[in-house]
Amino acid sequence: MKQCVVALALAILFVFPVIAADPAPIQPPPASGPATGLADLAALRATVFGTPPQDIAVLPQKVPLLEMDLALPWARPVPAVFWFNRRLRVWFSAQDKPAPLAIVIAGTGSGGNTAKLAILRAVLYGAGYHVLTMPSPTFPGFIVSASSTGVAGDLVQDGRDLYAAIQQIIAHLPRKVQITDIDILGYSLGGANAAMVKSIDAAERKVGIHRALLINPPVSLFSSVGRLDKLYAITLGNGDAGVERFYQKLYAELANRYRASDRVELDEDFLLGAAASILNTDAEFSAAIALTFRIALINVFFAGDLYSDSGVVVDPRHPPNVNDSMEETFRILRGKPFSEYFTKVFAPYYLRRRPNSTVNELIAENRLDFIDDALRGDPDYYALTNSDDLILDAAELDWLKRTFGARIQVYDHGGHLGNLGDRQQVADMLDMLGGRWKGGAQ
Amino acid sequence: MRANGALIVLLLVLGGCASQEVRYRQLPPDTPAANNAVNLEKALALAAQAASSSKNAKPETAGALAPITPAEAPPLATYDPWGPFNRSMYRFNARFDEALYLPAANHYRMLPSPIRAGVHNFFGNLAEINSIINYTLQGRLGRGVRSLGRFAINSTFGLGGLFDVAEKLNIPRAPTGFGTTLAKWGMHPGPYLVIPIYGPSTLREGMGLAADYGTSYAVNVANLYRGGQSWALGVLNAVDQRANVDFRYYASGSPFEYDTTRFLYVRKLLIEDTGLHRTRPAKNPNLDAPAGE
Repeated sequence: MKQCVVALALAILFVFPVIAADPAPIQPPPASGPATGLADLAALRATVFGTPPQDIAVLPQKVPLLEMDLALPWARPVPAVFWFNRRLRVWFSAQDKPAPLAIVIAGTGSGGNTAKLAILRAVLYGAGYHVLTMPSPTFPGFIVSASSTGVAGDLVQDGRDLYAAIQQIIAHLPRKVQITDIDILGYSLGGANAAMVKSIDAAERKVGIHRALLINPPVSLFSSVGRLDKLYAITLGNGDAGVERFYQKLYAELANRYRASDRVELDEDFLLGAAASILNTDAEFSAAIALTFRIALINVFFAGDLYSDSGVVVDPRHPPNVNDSMEETFRILRGKPFSEYFTKVFAPYYLRRRPNSTVNELIAENRLDFIDDALRGDPDYYALTNSDDLILDAAELDWLKRTFGARIQVYDHGGHLGNLGDRQQVADMLDMLGGRWKGGAQ
Repeated sequence: MRANGALIVLLLVLGGCASQEVRYRQLPPDTPAANNAVNLEKALALAAQAASSSKNAKPETAGALAPITPAEAPPLATYDPWGPFNRSMYRFNARFDEALYLPAANHYRMLPSPIRAGVHNFFGNLAEINSIINYTLQGRLGRGVRSLGRFAINSTFGLGGLFDVAEKLNIPRAPTGFGTTLAKWGMHPGPYLVIPIYGPSTLREGMGLAADYGTSYAVNVANLYRGGQSWALGVLNAVDQRANVDFRYYASGSPFEYDTTRFLYVRKLLIEDTGLHRTRPAKNPNLDAPAGE
């Protein structure tokens, strides 16, 4: 009996603290609804191919472009493999007279000069705005040069980093530029970032952002990417075998089409034509979308792992050097879902920084309803989205409608950004940013 | 002495001597209306092509090649035994491009488009000589005659190649070189190779490039390749080529850019090779090897 008591005491002394120090593993955020959200086949097609050129709004003949590379004072030491990302690169198009400034933020993983940004830049410049286009805070160039953490994807932290970067950029715009007002907009994740930056500015008042426009924003970052994980698993499977199968199929299709053509070079025109006929089914479009998103995530995962010393794919004691092969790292990351970034890099890192937070709080802070009061109460927030957007489910679309009320326009078709730049969308966008919006039919 | 001075300037530029807080670079203006008009033209052409191919679709004849199956696709890994050298060279090219090559191309792109088109056509016309020779070596005489026709028309009616009259007569450019000739003769691309300043290539394509230059030098049309002006013309040709390539090193921001560029370049080359062979090429053991790094 005495031995039992001693054993129990030892157990309490040694085993329980071990249990207490080894909490339950972090669970990834749940992804509700179907893997393709609200999208049908037409929405998936629109998402992949974008707005047809015949539907694009009237564009100006010429848009001046100034590239600005900024060394930001708070930048962290640059890891060797990211030597080329030392400076934050943004693009600015100036009017030659006083004009409002539109700041445009790119979507997940994208730089500040994408084709989508070029369309927005063109229509905004044509409407009389100075235009500043910026990378997403999840773009590796931003993570390295402008992020204060290196671990991207946190709506609040990314918003703060963006806000600080915007102040630096505005301070360094060419002297002759005269700004009469400042609006901010973004597409996809950039839309959520734009809303967050405006809400920070409302408290800090260092920039003076007037209106914010969210184009096809997510409602819950983690639900949206969780669905994209699910989509990847369904269409490509887990691990590398699915990617290899998809690649082999595409390769064979392209090679056969090329051989049947009389071309002497495989150029962009050939690829466009081939893509239009190779991708046909739900599964093929879904696989293309899921793979594109996964490739964007690879950079976020790699940078986060490197900066946080998490050790998932990068050995913190031996970080890769400039001449090291990255092929194996790329292959491993290709097979890793976003949920693993969340459980092994993101959540441990932010829970260390915010010791009083819980995983559920982290997830909640990355929902747009984290700034629900501002979105509901401030008449200067606007949104544009589609009723067949794959990054939303029915409840999330409903939440957007209820929150924005008359300040949202929901189109029947377009998928995720598949109608960006079309005539109606641009007219509505300019009405919203110009304060002329009277409310749309929903 | 002068060469040493130039080298020091080059090293300073490539080393990033400009360390100021903000760097500005005025780019040629974007031309969205014209770009969208081109996209529209392409979309309409694609639609017309799709309609006509579905109307004229023929069943495969007995003599047609069996289609390439997914199992015959080359592996995802790329044969790259010179990886460390190639990575260094990719980095050098990126720095060179950022410091000198791209700025020169951007200034050049600010010239009026008729001038740029004239320069581009002029060098394109000179390249027809290599195309004539190589199409002949490849046994594709019909294409060789087309290139000869283009050269004759553009050199005369096109005022020495400044205007692409042949294009307007519906004889579009279809350049080829010795790299493609080697492929036609059955040579595999070989290991991946990043050539200084030029960029992604393979051993075979690198050999082809050297042979093409050697041919131009040997033929020496109008003494352009050996005269005192040959350096200036070479630089102008290089700047014109860069101005017509829509690529920016590390625009992806990704540490995996070297790997993805290599993957895409080699797959493009391999698919182009499949278009050259009437019979299926023998399997290349090198392509099945893992990346040799």
